[in-house]
Amino acid sequence: MIAVKDLRKTYRVPQRDPGLVGALRSIWRREHKEIRAVEGVTFEIAAGERVGFLGPNGAGKTTTLKMLAGLLRPTSGEVSVNGFEPQRREAAFLEQITLVMGQKQQLLWDLPPRDTFALNRALYQIPDAQFRETLGELTTMLSLGELVDRPTRNLSLGERMKCELAAALLHRPKVLFLDEPTIGLDVVMQLQVRHFIAQWNERFGSTVLLTSHYMDDVQALCPRVIVIAAGALRFDGRLTDLVAQVKPRRRVVVRPPAGFTAAFPPPFALEGEAWVADVAPTDVGAAVQQGFAHCPGMDLRVEEPPLEQVFADFFVQHRTP
Amino acid sequence: MTRALRAMPTLFRVATAQLSAYRAEVLIWILTATMPLVMMALWDAVADGGPVGGLGQGDLARYFTVTLVARQLMSAWLSWELNPLIRTGGLSAHLLRPMSPFWYWLVQHVSHVPLRAVVLVPLIAALIAWRPEMGLTLDPARTSVFVLSCALGFLLNFVAHIFFGALAFWTGQSQGLFMGWFGLWSLFGGYLIPARLMPPWMAALNDALPFRAMLSIPVEIGASLMAPEAWLGALASQVAWLVAFAGIAAWTWRRGLRRYEAFGA
Repeated sequence: MIAVKDLRKTYRVPQRDPGLVGALRSIWRREHKEIRAVEGVTFEIAAGERVGFLGPNGAGKTTTLKMLAGLLRPTSGEVSVNGFEPQRREAAFLEQITLVMGQKQQLLWDLPPRDTFALNRALYQIPDAQFRETLGELTTMLSLGELVDRPTRNLSLGERMKCELAAALLHRPKVLFLDEPTIGLDVVMQLQVRHFIAQWNERFGSTVLLTSHYMDDVQALCPRVIVIAAGALRFDGRLTDLVAQVKPRRRVVVRPPAGFTAAFPPPFALEGEAWVADVAPTDVGAAVQQGFAHCPGMDLRVEEPPLEQVFADFFVQHRTP
Repeated sequence: MTRALRAMPTLFRVATAQLSAYRAEVLIWILTATMPLVMMALWDAVADGGPVGGLGQGDLARYFTVTLVARQLMSAWLSWELNPLIRTGGLSAHLLRPMSPFWYWLVQHVSHVPLRAVVLVPLIAALIAWRPEMGLTLDPARTSVFVLSCALGFLLNFVAHIFFGALAFWTGQSQGLFMGWFGLWSLFGGYLIPARLMPPWMAALNDALPFRAMLSIPVEIGASLMAPEAWLGALASQVAWLVAFAGIAAWTWRRGLRRYEAFGA
């Protein structure tokens, strides 16, 4: 179980004016600016939940994950992960978590992933039988095959990410912090990683907190989402509720058969070659009936607004000046 | 500690595999630490007309031969690795593991010793054959104390690197500070001038500094320039400096970690 209360993190970053004069001045007079990356975030996540942690670039998602994993020390507030205070970085805590960062790696660059796996077995004191069993499962679920015996530097990004996931999960952590685990992967690899994360969560009941800019990841994996923007919590609830809150309307799209030229009555309006009715969810049935009554042979589709659009609108609404 | 001891065989195996991946580069690094050979030639010329400060050409050849060995056995480079790890956030992967990363780095350092020995043994044999007057002998007691003193000197160098590496939590880069330290170490540690040949003011100052414990003491023991009755006191001073430096390095590291910003991603 993860509990976060009024969590804050402020960075102090050096600043200098551009150009040579600014560079020279900063040698003896360094100015700093305070950046409030996380401002009073509060939430709780139950054991076994899969939660999407979303927000625009610079919202404070990764900073929060790093505080939850014990890498960063909060400026103030309380954090508890499975009963541990992460910033103390006790071995018993670190054995229960993992943090996978899509843009950072733990694999030993010049050696095959198998060596990193062996290193982690030793560091996490994983019993031999459990190590063999888990590695076998990971190899199957992630289709690792002979990848584990090739030097990491010779693997593609997707292959490396699969091996990163394997290295991060060998000790069967109870809490998975996944920071953009599908970034840069092709569509096939994204699907595979998504499927794997869902399977792993179901198999071991691990808690998953995931950040991603790919809405397909969120839709496939996260019944619940926590949204932060400009360091503050903006939404915490079911993904469907967020969609209903931001984009409460549905689109009923009809394509009449060839030769049918009569205009559809309101609320339908012509958009290219299709007639589209933008209606409230409660009015979808009536619009469908109306469409069929007008043109029985038409092709009809009810569309939810794309998640990308939902989040884009949501972030715009919560943009700080 | 128990976890680290159990992990040792795997740590050594992985460190050796990494070493073999970079063997050519490591070999070049080993060969760049041959300053004692240069100093041997220089002091040889100085002592051509007779002993200097009681040290003849044979003594000086012995001193710098042992310096070469000690330098290779006590080499540390951790601050060079810590700087980019701290600056780019690469340290995060180490901090997420349930064991102090210093064990990992310590084993990495120690795993270099066999390769260094492979390079050193023929080199030293050639030096002994070329300069038999140096009288370098492998007396078991002296050799044992020399190895022990080298181990203490290595640990002292290692924790000094932790300290200088940890300064990067504040400064972003601390190699410049370390290079300043390295200059003092070269001067006071006996790398360029045997401690016995230092002017009185420098020798007095050196007594209050840690550099002798980091190189000169093991070299003086190994080169038979320190009487056996002085060994215990010399080893004790190494231990004292080690404890002091370990305390400073641990404090700096802990304080620095609070400032760690885990950049990247």
